[in-house]
Amino acid sequence: MTKEIPNEIAIEVKDVWKKFRLYHEKTYSLKERILFWGRNKAEDFWALKGINLTIPKGSTVGLIGRNGSGKSTLLKIISRILYPTRGEVKINGRVSTLLELGAGFHPDFTGRENIFLNASILGLNRKEIKERLDDIIAFAELGDFIDNPVRNYSSGMYMRLGFAVAVHVDAEILLIDEVLAVGDLAFKEKCLAKIKELQKKGTTIILVSHAPKQVEELCHFAVWLDRGEIKAQGGAKEVTKAYKEFIGSG
Amino acid sequence: MWQRIREIYAYREMLKNLVSKELRARYKGSILGFFWTFFNPLLMLIVYSFVFSFVMRSGIKNYSMFLFVALLPWNYLSSSILQGAASLVRNASLIKKVYFPREVLPLSVVLANLINYLLSLLILIPALLLFKIRLTWPLLAFPLVLLVETILVASLTLLVSVGNVYFRDLEHIIGVFMTAWFFLTPVVYSADTVPPNAKKFFSLNPAAHIIEAYRDIFYEGIWPDWEALLYVGLGCLILFWISLLAFQRWQKEIAEEI
Repeated sequence: MTKEIPNEIAIEVKDVWKKFRLYHEKTYSLKERILFWGRNKAEDFWALKGINLTIPKGSTVGLIGRNGSGKSTLLKIISRILYPTRGEVKINGRVSTLLELGAGFHPDFTGRENIFLNASILGLNRKEIKERLDDIIAFAELGDFIDNPVRNYSSGMYMRLGFAVAVHVDAEILLIDEVLAVGDLAFKEKCLAKIKELQKKGTTIILVSHAPKQVEELCHFAVWLDRGEIKAQGGAKEVTKAYKEFIGSG
Repeated sequence: MWQRIREIYAYREMLKNLVSKELRARYKGSILGFFWTFFNPLLMLIVYSFVFSFVMRSGIKNYSMFLFVALLPWNYLSSSILQGAASLVRNASLIKKVYFPREVLPLSVVLANLINYLLSLLILIPALLLFKIRLTWPLLAFPLVLLVETILVASLTLLVSVGNVYFRDLEHIIGVFMTAWFFLTPVVYSADTVPPNAKKFFSLNPAAHIIEAYRDIFYEGIWPDWEALLYVGLGCLILFWISLLAFQRWQKEIAEEI
């Protein structure tokens, strides 16, 4: 799958390091912190070690790697949920993150009310939400359930509504973390179709995935992370092939 | 910093939705629903009027009104701070999953309490008239007094919300602190009864001046002490600026600390 890649830059990750402090026994209280001053042993864990990455506008990039390789941490830093310990990230355009579908849904509110709530958390104003409301409702395929409280929803319906809101934000940059594994087969197909449609519209997409096949299918580029470092990056096919061989041999 | 404020403004729809969620969810499922917003102050008023008119008679004329005009804005302050302290920790799952300016969470608590306070005025005003306390021109100063209080409340709520992420028992410490602050502020007593040698100490309390101003305009029917209000207002603005800076600095790590 070869596609033309525009040269403009959407995301630039410059020498990003991320340190987590792992406490053996986390003390949260003021009293304990004063009583056990200096006794609070913590280990530093470097989740990312000097990541450099340039992502052109309109491209789709897959992040692959084993558990704990730093994929999700990198995604969270790009989405500004976490801050890098060192280095910086430059972003060009509005970002929408799909880390968890339906984050911030209130169980007692109806689907429709939750669309307003959830979309505003993703940064839309009232007018923008109203413009998208019909599309979101149609995409979620909830029928009359849209005016029922979401606590009555099945988990599939919940996910569908969450996905529908997130992809209709019309962000220039979309970050996706393993959420494509939700819903039944038909809905999964629909999600993939929507992602392909966004690709055509020129949305920059970063996708974290365990499945090399999905990365191969959807992405222009792939980045293989291993223990917080980039082990390989380049065309999606070559990188996933190398990754699969590595997994197979290791 | 201005960029940060602009960003918070860009998320005003979220702020608005959180406020209405807060106001609606509080009484959702109860029979009287939204009317509880009025029932709380009304019940409070009836109990106080009874106690202070028949049981514990005070030397102050219309003591229940004297108390009520001060207690309502105090409750706005104290419940904002107490609920605001938990606002970030309670929304941990949201903070870990979505980016938005985190200030929105504590500020939504302040706004919800502000609206609750304004609604309670619908009980207060008729009650004042019932007790034959006349509404006078100094009431025009109300928006200014409310603005000064809101800046103070917003500053403190921002600070305690982010502080509570790092020190979880701050929430409980604040509970004790608020009780002490309540009795050091002329809510249940008049500022005039404070002994002269303690007056200096009392005048350092910004809440004292604010509460006094409310009492002046609602109960006494006189204009507030402008000079004191000016100093408190300026002090609160500086505090607000510091709170925003401190919040911005400390919020960077909350997604991993929470």
